[in-house]
Amino acid sequence: MTSVSRVLAVWLTPVSLLAVPAALVASAADGLWLGLTLSLVLLVVLGLAGGRREPRPDPERPGAGQLFRVVTLLVAVGMLLWANIALAGDVALWLGGQRWQGIVITATLGWLLTAWSPLRRSAPLLLAVALVAMLAPLLQIGWASGLPPIAAWDRVATQPSFRFPPSSPWVTTGRELGVARGRAPLVFDEVHRLTAPAGGVLRARTLDGTRLAEIEWTLAPGQTITLRAGDELSRSSSLRLRFEADKHVPGAPPSGMAWAEDRPRRWMRRVGLAVTLLVGAAALLRAGLTIRLGRDGVGFVAAGLLVAFVWAQAWAVYAMLHAPDVLLGGVSIERLLELPAPILFAEPWRRALQGFLLVGALAAFLASSVALRERLGALDPTGGGEIGRDPGLWAGLFGGAALASFWPVDPWALTLLALGGVGCALGPAALAPPRRGRGLLATTAGVVGLVAFVATAVVPVRGSGGLAGALAAYPALVGAPAGALVLWLGRGRR
Amino acid sequence: MRPVTHRTAGVVLLCLLLVGFLLLGALPNQVASIRVGGLSLLWWYGGVLAPVVAVLVAIRWLAEPVASPRDE
Repeated sequence: MTSVSRVLAVWLTPVSLLAVPAALVASAADGLWLGLTLSLVLLVVLGLAGGRREPRPDPERPGAGQLFRVVTLLVAVGMLLWANIALAGDVALWLGGQRWQGIVITATLGWLLTAWSPLRRSAPLLLAVALVAMLAPLLQIGWASGLPPIAAWDRVATQPSFRFPPSSPWVTTGRELGVARGRAPLVFDEVHRLTAPAGGVLRARTLDGTRLAEIEWTLAPGQTITLRAGDELSRSSSLRLRFEADKHVPGAPPSGMAWAEDRPRRWMRRVGLAVTLLVGAAALLRAGLTIRLGRDGVGFVAAGLLVAFVWAQAWAVYAMLHAPDVLLGGVSIERLLELPAPILFAEPWRRALQGFLLVGALAAFLASSVALRERLGALDPTGGGEIGRDPGLWAGLFGGAALASFWPVDPWALTLLALGGVGCALGPAALAPPRRGRGLLATTAGVVGLVAFVATAVVPVRGSGGLAGALAAYPALVGAPAGALVLWLGRGRR
Repeated sequence: MRPVTHRTAGVVLLCLLLVGFLLLGALPNQVASIRVGGLSLLWWYGGVLAPVVAVLVAIRWLAEPVASPRDE
């Protein structure tokens, strides 16, 4: 059972868990693909795990290959921790706190858990806490809505437009525009009155006939300004803004039907995502060790993935139904940790459910930290797993990740970068291990894969569509085949 | 040539489930958007059918043939 929880905790970090509902909210089909791929590639890797084992290193002569594996995995684990701690900072900011509060709490607890030996085997308990704490608000919202998930989906997919509900915090008290990170432009498609409760400087690009103009207003507290269809709000404006109720949310899809439809010609991007996750899962779970799960173990892992995916779907649908303002300017994953539909719950229930969500995410993060530490320790049989028990090393790792988290990043993009990089370096050899005594071949393939991955990632690409856009978004499409090719060529030579 | 094991069959089935989603999305005339019982066909497949079948495939085909006292 410990291995089951370890496998789930390594794979389902809070960023990965929340990336699925965030993607579902942004686009139904893309979100489904992400959730499905995230679930199935792990099972594929488990299925392939019963094949040939990767040769274990000689304890007397660990060699450069082992060093390459340890360093690569250590960097990847550091990046995964960074992504999750950065998410904690984003969540703190989004819920009205300070960024440092979320960062310090998660990094400190994560380090304590990995450093204090009695707590090192707490991953199953933490996962159970995360499960209960994340399911409770979902069940409450489903019950309070009076709509089962399928009926809620139908309601969302038939919405003529996604509009600000009167109870939205963006309407009642207003929010800092600066915390609304996202990629979609804040373009209005109807007349919209904005109020600055505390005043400030507002910048917008307005459309006057066919002429674009950059305009800056200095607003007094409580002053209102009206933007017209086609005007775009600049994200550089850092002031608290109140939007109008029952107006279309800028950045949201035009309608529920548009949200539910699949966008055509996205094959390469979907394949790129699947390849990245596949090699990433292989590297995280198989490089340097062998997973052996019986029927119960595989069943638990598969059921855990199914529960996580079903939770993500239902959570996304209820969030869109009750809080379409989650779509303002594009979705970012920290918004999915805010309780949608606050109006459905009176105090202190609302705070309790919000607390449940935060506790669930924190427990998932701690479980992941413990599991990643154990994973790294298992790669170091020559040192008796010392690398997984060294408090100084882990203090440095958590401290570095915490410091880096003060610089806002997209946690999911960072997670994909970590999975792609470690996947190209270690994934091909983990999926098709070379024969015993050919460790150098695995290392060569890993170096070639990693170099190809980095080279593809840093090459500037014009436009975001087509094959070039897919390669830029998922450099593992180049790195993983490059590593696999080296393995294949090397295997042919006796 | 290495023999085709139960495990290989399970991995192939899982891959086919993924390919099925891509093919369903590529069908002409937005067939995947047709609503059946409140959900679109794409959502029935990608959100319900494929994940549930994947669990069954995993239990039936992906487990270790012989139980091992050590997981790793």
